[in-house]
Amino acid sequence: MADVKDLEELVLKGEMSITEFACTKIDGSLERMRQKHPEMLWTMEIQKFMWDNYRDAHKNGKKLVFYGGSIPTELIAAFDCFGFYMDVIPFRLSTNPAITAKYIDEAEKYVAPTMCGLDKTELGAWLSGAYGIKPDMFVYNTVPCDSSRLAYPAMAKLMDVPTFSFDTPFRRDDRGAEYLAEQIEDFIVFMEENTGHKLDWDKLKYFMENSNRNFELQKKCSDLRKNKPCPLPGRLLVLNGTTNAVACYPEMGDLYAAELEAGQMMVELGIGACPDEKYRVAMLQNMIWGAASIMDWMQTEYNAVAIMDAFGFQGDIMYEHMDDRRDCFKTMGKKMQNNPMIHGASGPSEYHLALVDKIFQDYDPNVSMFLGHVGCKHTWASAKMVSDMVQEKYGLPTLYLDLDAIDGRYKSNDEIKAQISEYFETVVMK
Amino acid sequence: MDYQRLFESDISTEAVKAWKAKGKKAVGIICCHVPEELFYAADILPVRMRATNCIDNSEAQAWMSSFSCSFARGLLQYWLEGPYKELDGFVTSDGCMQSSRMHDNAAYINTIKKTGKFIRQIDAPRKISERAYPFYRAELQDLVTDLEELTGNKITDEKLKAAIAKLNEARELVAKVYELRKEKDPVISGTDCLKLTLAATNMPVDEYVELLKAFLADAKNRKPITDHRVRLMVIGSGLDDPKYIELIESKGGFVVADSLCFGRRGFDDPMEVDDKDVLGSIAKYYLDRLVCPRMMDKHFEMDDYIIDTCRDWNVDGILYQRMQYCEIWGGEAVYFQDRLKNAGIPILTVEREEQMTNEGQLGIRVEAFVEMIEKED
Repeated sequence: MADVKDLEELVLKGEMSITEFACTKIDGSLERMRQKHPEMLWTMEIQKFMWDNYRDAHKNGKKLVFYGGSIPTELIAAFDCFGFYMDVIPFRLSTNPAITAKYIDEAEKYVAPTMCGLDKTELGAWLSGAYGIKPDMFVYNTVPCDSSRLAYPAMAKLMDVPTFSFDTPFRRDDRGAEYLAEQIEDFIVFMEENTGHKLDWDKLKYFMENSNRNFELQKKCSDLRKNKPCPLPGRLLVLNGTTNAVACYPEMGDLYAAELEAGQMMVELGIGACPDEKYRVAMLQNMIWGAASIMDWMQTEYNAVAIMDAFGFQGDIMYEHMDDRRDCFKTMGKKMQNNPMIHGASGPSEYHLALVDKIFQDYDPNVSMFLGHVGCKHTWASAKMVSDMVQEKYGLPTLYLDLDAIDGRYKSNDEIKAQISEYFETVVMK
Repeated sequence: MDYQRLFESDISTEAVKAWKAKGKKAVGIICCHVPEELFYAADILPVRMRATNCIDNSEAQAWMSSFSCSFARGLLQYWLEGPYKELDGFVTSDGCMQSSRMHDNAAYINTIKKTGKFIRQIDAPRKISERAYPFYRAELQDLVTDLEELTGNKITDEKLKAAIAKLNEARELVAKVYELRKEKDPVISGTDCLKLTLAATNMPVDEYVELLKAFLADAKNRKPITDHRVRLMVIGSGLDDPKYIELIESKGGFVVADSLCFGRRGFDDPMEVDDKDVLGSIAKYYLDRLVCPRMMDKHFEMDDYIIDTCRDWNVDGILYQRMQYCEIWGGEAVYFQDRLKNAGIPILTVEREEQMTNEGQLGIRVEAFVEMIEKED
């Protein structure tokens, strides 16, 4: 396989699409993993499943539904379509800062530089004609943030394909769930019109069952992290993000099953992700998508493992009455409102506070970090409330550190590490 | 009647103090989906909150961080240590994430300090649909209940209709003021017009209506303003500082129209009332009216409004000011840039903070823009 730098060059010249780039890069990683760490293959296989299906959807006779925000993916799958979660682009490209920089610059011709790097990358890549795949439909909703509220309708305009949008209420209550359940009925009409198929309830049930299995396994994996030492590395928290893209497919459950098996084995052996766990780090905002290696570095350098983040991947909303259409759609509505990231970042700050409080109650961290993605301005505006609560209830000072989880130009990994080091050495270890 | 109070744009607490001296409540309003009608119907003075002249927002910044828009920080600052300490509370919608976080921090501090202030947030849909109206109406019904509880006053349909009538009168009169600006040499500058619309936040609507009537009666006696080089429209983030417009006008850019929530858009056309469902009429009006690009399915309507206004007010160019960290307005160019270009309307984009900064640079850019448009003429 060609060197990543060569592939990057092709993408920058516009000679390779980002989809092809992602697929090729993943194949290369799998190849290396087979040789060096075959026991960890499961961490990459989900990526292959996703990106190959994006690339080959049309070849496989499936319509491709691009979506932004929190969407009932079970329905997309039940209509025999494959959903393309647009945030996978910035997530996947975040380790290639030259590429994200190109697309971010392209987007900034139109939008303010302060807009979130995820949305700028998605928008800029589309404006550059770089996706390499074309949507048949586009679906978005009105969360999680002002950046995406601007970007999604703009993308709809640019894509010029049949589009559906959900209006997701800000507060999470029964009124909101009912409102979303009604809109889901409208969405089904949209899907029926644009696929030519009627909704097949048995298919939907299959995907809802998958979804339940995945979230149950996800919960069990999260629960494993309560153990001391924490058996799972911080890096795997980053992988949780994949759930938003393929939550209703069995492959996601297979990943969690493998993670659970590995974690349980570690627990039984009394081994932690760190050889000698000293610090259990709670991440109060997002994960560092573009620099997951910092998690590994914290483990080796400070015996500090990230045990949980406030992205919110501890799914606990399940479909219960699978033959009750209204109940299922209300549950979908609740899932949309409580989706990871949505849960921590959107809506009133009280949800973010409650989530962080639960992390401290359940996982017993002794280090608190707010590694704040600068695009998440609304979480920055909750930061003091959250960190004050942590200080008052749990007696821990919080490290505030601004970074751009997508745009590597904002702050280098070395600078991030230096700031984390300073915190450990001047505060935590004192 | 002396109408000079229309041009006193600094935040005044006189009306709030006078209102409260009568044993009544005064409550702040943030953003464009909190209907003032409900407050008047409960005999509460609604005060649209703003951050004019908030030069130091350091306490608010400690809460909201420097990554928040300075308008929202200014609101929090004035709530914590400023003119809005006088208020009995405030109500906001989820207009944007910044105003929402202003609410969240204020509510959090309220709880910690046990101030007992009345703080509420209502959920306003971001899309117009037959499903959205009843949802929003239900939110307003909850607010009605809360306001009744706060004051002990029952909000009846008759009281709501009286409030609608009075606010409609203000809407019609402000529209007439804007009509004056269609003239070749208008009798009111853009600076004074913004002061005039901001004045609505400083007094009860009854007083405001009387002052507007007096101004309009006297308009024919005012001297037309002739020393301008180009006619501009100002669009963008919430702008509550007339000094900003004053600077633009000092460089030859005469502001004749706007698409600002503190300007024309905050008033809009009069509300139509269905007697069978007065609260439903209010919900429909506030959801339908176009104030802010927070509404996700109204971007093109917003562009249409801007282009139509340019035509009707004979605008030579647009000044698009976007507050730093205001995503709602910050990327609107994605929608209108090509359309404005096709319509032959020049546009100048400038970044802004709540407090006046970089005046020299702004002046130079406006001057250059004015020259460019003049040359094109």
